[in-house]
Amino acid sequence: MTLVTIGLLALITFTTRYLFLEGKLPLRLGPNVKQLLSFSAPAVLTAIFAPILFVHDQQLDLSYTNEYIWGGLAAIMAAYKTHSVYWTIGVGTGAFLLGGNFL
Amino acid sequence: MFSRRKALLAAVGKGALDMLPLSLAVLPWGILFGSLAIQRGFSGLEAQLFSAIIFGGAVQIVTVELMAENAPLLTVLFSALVISSRHFLYGLSLREQLRTRPLRWRLGLGFLLTDELFSLSGDRRAYRNKYRLYYAVGAGGSFYLAWNAWTALGIIAGAWLPDMTDLGLDFTIAATFIALVIPDIKSLPILVCVLVSTILSVIFSIYEMELGLVAAALMGMTAGFSVQKLRQV
Repeated sequence: MTLVTIGLLALITFTTRYLFLEGKLPLRLGPNVKQLLSFSAPAVLTAIFAPILFVHDQQLDLSYTNEYIWGGLAAIMAAYKTHSVYWTIGVGTGAFLLGGNFL
Repeated sequence: MFSRRKALLAAVGKGALDMLPLSLAVLPWGILFGSLAIQRGFSGLEAQLFSAIIFGGAVQIVTVELMAENAPLLTVLFSALVISSRHFLYGLSLREQLRTRPLRWRLGLGFLLTDELFSLSGDRRAYRNKYRLYYAVGAGGSFYLAWNAWTALGIIAGAWLPDMTDLGLDFTIAATFIALVIPDIKSLPILVCVLVSTILSVIFSIYEMELGLVAAALMGMTAGFSVQKLRQV
């Protein structure tokens, strides 16, 4: 039963990824839709990381003891300055751990 | 002929190299998943199978927890669909480049189309020629191997590790996506898109709205698009 469930889950994730790559799907994207979709990467990735920083236990946490915010701010500055994934994760995680220990 | 093959191999390597920081960034997350699955009573084979054929992040962790609690099958499948629904946007975005490609390319790259691979697909020429396709296979394929290797580590270490779900490992995911988004903010419309997406995703998350992530992203996209249109007038 577990294996069947895992198989069904695989089918679902694959379908969400593959569906619109299928050429036989009767769907034409106009220039406006294409322009709209050009924003999908920053929009989706932001919607994934923002709640991790600001929401804990279904509560908005804007207090200065929220180490996720300090880590996030440090990561944003590092990303802006260096454009490097390594530096961003390193500096961000450093600030996050410091905040967790001292706040 | 020989040099062409060499160039394609170089493209695979370039893809893997560009993906490397992201492959490393999910190491704690992969170990967390592997050990979590073992601690929740799954066999090593089952745990590895999650990463091998589902190949998702959040979706694996959420469904393992649900299955361990004996949640109804439909609940498990529906949660997976909700969490995975953002991929519809990725497929739509890459449709023009990929829909005319042979089936094996579409199936392969479709299977590998994670947040991480999509984030490396922003280049205007992405997927436009054979080298770009091999590049994507190198990037997506190396990420697949890394994710499965980290899962295996978690499975092996599973019994000795503490419950890692509360260790704050989700911060590394946030930092990775910050690293991908911030350098891309090169214009006012993109900035507006990111700000709207931030505010709405936080609000929807507080209220535990189903599909909140996708709704926030769609509204962020619409906001950015609107600003771009207004500036063209």
